[in-house]
Amino acid sequence: MNTRTDMNAQDPARDRAQNAAADPAKESASAHVSAVRRVWALREGRTGIILTGLVLLISVFGPLLAQPLTGFGPTEFADKPFQDSGIFGTDDLGRSVAARFLAGGLRLLCYSVLATALGLALGALLGIFAAYAGGVVDQIIMRINDVLLAIPQLVFALLAITVLGTHGWVLVTVIGITHAPRVARVARAATLGVIGEDYIRAAEMYAVPRWRIVVQEIAPNITGPLSVEAGLRLTYSIGTIASLSFLGLGMQPPVADWGLMINENRIALSVQPWGVLLPVAAIAVLTIGTNLLADAIARATANTNVEA
Amino acid sequence: MPPAPINRRSMLGGVTVLAALGLLSACSGPGAQLEFDTSGPPQKGGTLRVGITGGSSADTLDAHTATNQGDYARTQNLYECLATRDREYKLRMRLADSIEPNDTATVWTVKLRSGVKFSNGRPLEPEDVIASFKRITDPDNPGTGAAGLATLDKVVKTGPTTVEFRLKAPNSIFDDTLSQVDNNIVPRDYDPDEPVGTGPFMLDSFEPGQQTTLVRNPHYWDGEPYLDQVQLLNFNDDDAVINALLSSQVDCVAAIPMALVKVIEADPRMKILDSVTGRWLPLTMRVDQKPFDDKRVRQAFRLVVDRQQMIDQVLSGYGTIGNDIFAPMDPEGPKFPQRTRDVEKAKQLLADAGYPDGLSVELVTAPINPGVVESAQVYAQQAKDAGITVTIKRVDSTTFYGEGNYLSYPFSQSFWNTKNFLPQADQCTVKASPFNETHWNDADYNELLAKSKAALDPAQRKKHMEAAQRMLYDDGGYIIWGFANNVDAYQSYVVGLETSASGYPLGRYAFAKVWIGDVK
Repeated sequence: MNTRTDMNAQDPARDRAQNAAADPAKESASAHVSAVRRVWALREGRTGIILTGLVLLISVFGPLLAQPLTGFGPTEFADKPFQDSGIFGTDDLGRSVAARFLAGGLRLLCYSVLATALGLALGALLGIFAAYAGGVVDQIIMRINDVLLAIPQLVFALLAITVLGTHGWVLVTVIGITHAPRVARVARAATLGVIGEDYIRAAEMYAVPRWRIVVQEIAPNITGPLSVEAGLRLTYSIGTIASLSFLGLGMQPPVADWGLMINENRIALSVQPWGVLLPVAAIAVLTIGTNLLADAIARATANTNVEA
Repeated sequence: MPPAPINRRSMLGGVTVLAALGLLSACSGPGAQLEFDTSGPPQKGGTLRVGITGGSSADTLDAHTATNQGDYARTQNLYECLATRDREYKLRMRLADSIEPNDTATVWTVKLRSGVKFSNGRPLEPEDVIASFKRITDPDNPGTGAAGLATLDKVVKTGPTTVEFRLKAPNSIFDDTLSQVDNNIVPRDYDPDEPVGTGPFMLDSFEPGQQTTLVRNPHYWDGEPYLDQVQLLNFNDDDAVINALLSSQVDCVAAIPMALVKVIEADPRMKILDSVTGRWLPLTMRVDQKPFDDKRVRQAFRLVVDRQQMIDQVLSGYGTIGNDIFAPMDPEGPKFPQRTRDVEKAKQLLADAGYPDGLSVELVTAPINPGVVESAQVYAQQAKDAGITVTIKRVDSTTFYGEGNYLSYPFSQSFWNTKNFLPQADQCTVKASPFNETHWNDADYNELLAKSKAALDPAQRKKHMEAAQRMLYDDGGYIIWGFANNVDAYQSYVVGLETSASGYPLGRYAFAKVWIGDVK
């Protein structure tokens, strides 16, 4: 998957660069609008936006709607365990499955977005620095990176959480850090495609400080491949956090959370399947949606000929 | 714009989900029914396959160091004690004919039952009893029952079928100690790898964490068992064992989750064994640590509990309400007014104790027994109303019992099986107790326990015990909200399983009188 993004990475940057040269004033605004249009024009882009949007709406407004819609808060008791009362019955402690489902997505989403943002920032920084510095520094950073890549993400997270405890910040930090090496590879490849460009040379000739070149010239021109990577990493974050919650190392009871719900209610899958099916469906739709969206962004930014 | 393929996909997905649901419900629905003749007389022969959750490579056959359910299933069938508790928790003689104290309850004379043979055909003799208790109280490698035998000085043979237990201090309930499940009698040349005992079954094969096969003991003294074989099969989790039952891969399951009882009961192929027990799942407050060193805080924490709701949510209704004192099966137990929920009074007590705006505490929990983590969550919800914020810290069982962790938590949880008051008090309410979770240590209380143990007159003993329990009821560190039933499930062709108040599943794994009905 990295190889494909790496190849694509060079094209959008060039296109962008040409656009920028032609019409520097309108560059950022028009590029964004047309990018969204191009994504929407793609079939998987539309599907991705709709699926992601749907789950996004449930997670963001669900916690507010849980009480008025179901009559119960996410930790209140509605009936005995695994009964049919209410829309989707009750869970292993007799709480409303509907209320817990509505309230259970926000944290997952927030943690996933934060972890992705952290991973993206760290990875991009390392990747750009390695590519722009080049030589020995590049070699050292990227070889260390390769070592980190060899460690399975979930295993590393399990280890860190067992040692540091199950706090929200630990979850976000650990998953963010495990994303960084993957993002760094993409960021480095994209940067390598940009640093040979004339406008960078020009900036260097004017003795613009290197950090300003990174911030003002390089970073804006590798957003294409990085946003694709962001989508992919978000998908992985959602999967990892939900898995950790399922294993009892993510969200802690009695918090309502989709991963945790699956674990709490799986024993009654044949009796009260909603307690498992709803969160499973939501996580599946969300990961598929973000994945499709990431693919669409990749295609749209790679190929400006997609009709808006 | 072409129609998005998502429509077709989502429809296919929906159909798949519906089909899966249909399959699931079909599994539990009534199918073609076989009729079984369970009217008797008992049929001889056959194998009983027992599903047990848990088990690991550390599983043991040892008569004196059983820890998990599988271990007890094995030891209960391989070995026997001098006395036992019957299904109503009354004391019954087993390998002893009689157990009598002297006037000061410092010497107990045990007359052995005649005609008892070990599974290798050798008769039971006083030397075997002496060797058994020597093995349990071996200071280098004590058995689980050693804590209850702290006052045992020595065991002496006084005749061809009699032994004397000489104690360092009076103990009017020593016959109860001899009936504890961990004090099994083994032959003097006992080797746990080649286990020989007087139980109804003997070992055929044993794979730790996998399965155990027991066969009928031909020398059993109390009527030969009907079954040829008992297979004890270990399962990793409740899902697996329930599926094995529904697909008839096992004949009975030890302790099923309460939330599934109604469903399994509705299956005409299955029967439920619902035993009222004295198993308790308390919350434990350390009386020597802030904020629980103030008894008003402890009282407030007890007053916020809605006990019936705990039973309903945690045990699906399969339990009896508790009153913050243990040993509900003890015939000499006191009757105190039932404590009920009083949030206003709890708030007042907290304000008096210096917490007018409520307080925050951390509750350490672990899945150490079914219902423990669940009761933590229900308690946290109930305590909210009194301004108490309970933060649940869930750890795994190994961490929970880890060195330096267990017994150090200010606010945590525990579980205990049925015991009478005095033996239970020895286990958890005095300084020398191995599991003093609440760190209760009170000189007056200790004196009352000593007096109770010295009193052979039941009325006298009851009076002292009541005074001691009054102290725990008023000021103690346990929140005992209820006693959990034990619910097992078995196929309708299995006959002879009986309920047991012991807290151990399947009538305390009593398979000696179980038989399998033929198809009609």
